[in-house]
Amino acid sequence: MILIISTCADKLSELEFVRPIAMLFEEHIIQHYSQVKQADIKAAEKIIIAGTALKDFEYLKGEFGWLSNTDKPVLGICSGMQLIAQAYGIELEEFVAIGPGPIEIIAENKLASGKFNAYFLHTKTGAGGFKTLATTNGRPCMIKHAEKEIYGCIFHPEVMNEDIIMNFVRNEK
Amino acid sequence: MKLGVLYSGGKDSTLALMKAKLHHEIVCLISIISKNEESYMFHTPNIDVTLLQSQAMELPLIRAETKGEKEKELEDLKNAIIEAVKRYKIEGIVTGAVRSTYQASRVQRICHELGLWCFNPLWLKNQIELLYEIVEKGIQPIISGIFAEPLDKSYLGAAIDKTMIEKLTRIAESHHINPAGEGGEIETTVLDAPVFKKKIKITKQETTHEKFTGVFKIIDAELVKK
Repeated sequence: MILIISTCADKLSELEFVRPIAMLFEEHIIQHYSQVKQADIKAAEKIIIAGTALKDFEYLKGEFGWLSNTDKPVLGICSGMQLIAQAYGIELEEFVAIGPGPIEIIAENKLASGKFNAYFLHTKTGAGGFKTLATTNGRPCMIKHAEKEIYGCIFHPEVMNEDIIMNFVRNEK
Repeated sequence: MKLGVLYSGGKDSTLALMKAKLHHEIVCLISIISKNEESYMFHTPNIDVTLLQSQAMELPLIRAETKGEKEKELEDLKNAIIEAVKRYKIEGIVTGAVRSTYQASRVQRICHELGLWCFNPLWLKNQIELLYEIVEKGIQPIISGIFAEPLDKSYLGAAIDKTMIEKLTRIAESHHINPAGEGGEIETTVLDAPVFKKKIKITKQETTHEKFTGVFKIIDAELVKK
């Protein structure tokens, strides 16, 4: 079972940022970050932290300490990647990107390869300390923890690159 | 939160409005009237009907004209949204965008510049499911424009009901078009919806058609009791 964590402060945003991910595979449960308990993390096979609206920053005040000691595979999308960065002490920087942009995979990984376009919608990012898997115009946009299966995508793969999500969901640990 | 809806008068913006209304207060509609028939952002055949639709919903309408020059039309949209902020104190915008990253990212950018929330409640929704949801929610659209093979004259003015959805689904498979018209294959005009207090009755229309392109133009219409 995949646990999809919503970071949306507004229910209406979940239709835009959570539902499109949940639509891709059947075996999932959706929980808002404020409701997630240790038992939920323990029960999940893998975890996806979904993005949220550009103007939403409430999630940055949430409790995500579990991210720094979990051994579960995690894919953080946009705000999810920011939360991963924050949990590992990486400082977030202001950087606005809205709309499609080019991606180049620079390190072999289980989720994506080659060059492609992806949809960006963020005002903050942070990647230092994690391995850079992909860049956009020279900036890290897809990262991975050095040892753990913890990935971050600052772009939204659910929009133009569903394969990235499905590769995360299907790949064996 | 007080929200304004970017409203074209078609099925998608009507459904988006209904979904947003479950969570927030809709305080105005914003319609952009493009003089450019090739506009990727705004062109729709019966945009003037939004006047009646806004009356039917008892919501104020901000109408802004644009020549439809590529980036200038975004300035015109931005100014219309600024007007909505001033007049109705909106804190965010709702759109009926489904798949177009071109349209969605441009509206997102304007909202970001103005410090507004942006909601796209239909984003990435399956096109066939979207059509069924529109019918199941009681929205009554007609096809007011066709712009792709093999759509012929018989579609113009036709209601979108379950039989029409089945037909559009078959065509989508055989001709690789988008059944819900997100690629501009069809345009729709909503005549009634649960959020309408009165419905629209067409009293005069004109159909123009050539090959697989045509428009069902509403010349005159009125609000009647439901």
